[in-house]
Amino acid sequence: MATKTIFFDAGPIITLVMARLAWILPPLKKQFGGEFYITPAVKYELIDRPLTVKRFQFEALEVSKMVREGLIKIYPSVNDSEVSKIKKLVNGSFSMRGRNMDVLQEGEVQSITAAKNINSSIVMDERTLRLLIENNKRMKSLLERRFHGKVVANLDRINKFSNEFKQVNIIRSVELIGIAFKMGLLDDYILKRRNGTDILLNAVLYAARYNGCAVTDHEIEELKDFLSERIK
Amino acid sequence: MKQLIKKEIIHDLSEAIKILEVREAKDYEELKTLSDHGIENVALHKNLDVISITVLIYSIYKTLFCLKTEDYEFVVEHLTKARDTLKRGNLGLYNNYLKKLFSRIQHCNAAVQEHLQDVMQAARIKKGSILMQKGLSIGQAAGLMGLSNWDLQRYAGRTPAYGHTETIPAKRRMKKALSLFGV
Repeated sequence: MATKTIFFDAGPIITLVMARLAWILPPLKKQFGGEFYITPAVKYELIDRPLTVKRFQFEALEVSKMVREGLIKIYPSVNDSEVSKIKKLVNGSFSMRGRNMDVLQEGEVQSITAAKNINSSIVMDERTLRLLIENNKRMKSLLERRFHGKVVANLDRINKFSNEFKQVNIIRSVELIGIAFKMGLLDDYILKRRNGTDILLNAVLYAARYNGCAVTDHEIEELKDFLSERIK
Repeated sequence: MKQLIKKEIIHDLSEAIKILEVREAKDYEELKTLSDHGIENVALHKNLDVISITVLIYSIYKTLFCLKTEDYEFVVEHLTKARDTLKRGNLGLYNNYLKKLFSRIQHCNAAVQEHLQDVMQAARIKKGSILMQKGLSIGQAAGLMGLSNWDLQRYAGRTPAYGHTETIPAKRRMKKALSLFGV
């Protein structure tokens, strides 16, 4: 049987590290029973680059330790020519004043391409890529609105990109936190009072949001209802 | 660049040139007053070009005593060139003159170097978050502004959701995630 895998974009790892929740990853991996992967470009954003920036050096060391200890592995088989083709496709989907507008970066494209190629899921906090795959018409209208109609979208290209990746299952760091909550990993934080669980859910879900996970207030409410329902 | 912003910047540059044209003791105080006026502009306009010019004037004020004659002349000459090119609307050349001014001043004083890095960093982050609001990915926005993803990430969660609603309901995505992990 093939090993189960999940790819991580840089965003969710950054969210968990900044929210002081990275410790949930080892028990989550154990529960998952497969491998957690990042691509080389994501490793560059998570470790190599921040190692050169004083502000984030320690965070880089923290992620580096996760890699060294085998919690997260670097995916060795990224298909560079395919990544470059996909990058060209997606970044050629929008143009302004006759010039293509790059909306995605190497790491994001590498992650989604590698995930698709081995039928893996992906953890991604990034809203832009998720919109492009799950609702490209909204992405088109968003860019047109934000750039005051100056952006021209090539729907053929956008549809081609969306179709290529529509099978990839995307989850976010908030969902990982939800799983950790369901597993009881966060129980020690529950205050001994009537709404203790509510406070905890509020605290961890907003911690994810304020550290970079694209999740709306409405979604947080929905998640709180759903997760607290399960423990009643 | 908006006309109002352009007018403010040309005004500040002209004032700085007027102060520096003749090197005298009162320049220091006058530049400080001008720099304070610039800070008000920053608060008022929240505009990166205004931030740049304010930081520049503040930095000249901070380095005034240590500027060698040739550096001093360079500063006055390039402030004049920057103002004149901005008046003509040549933004590319204007930015080029600013870059040269920053570079020359930065090498005069280590403290200013530190200060400049902080302020310019804050300005880049601000601009990066605007790019994210416009729909660029975090990675792309960070790359364009010369930042790391770590810099912009915490601002991503605070970026307005521009009336955005998710296609997949949160409950459904959560259920999928739970089943993926066998929980």
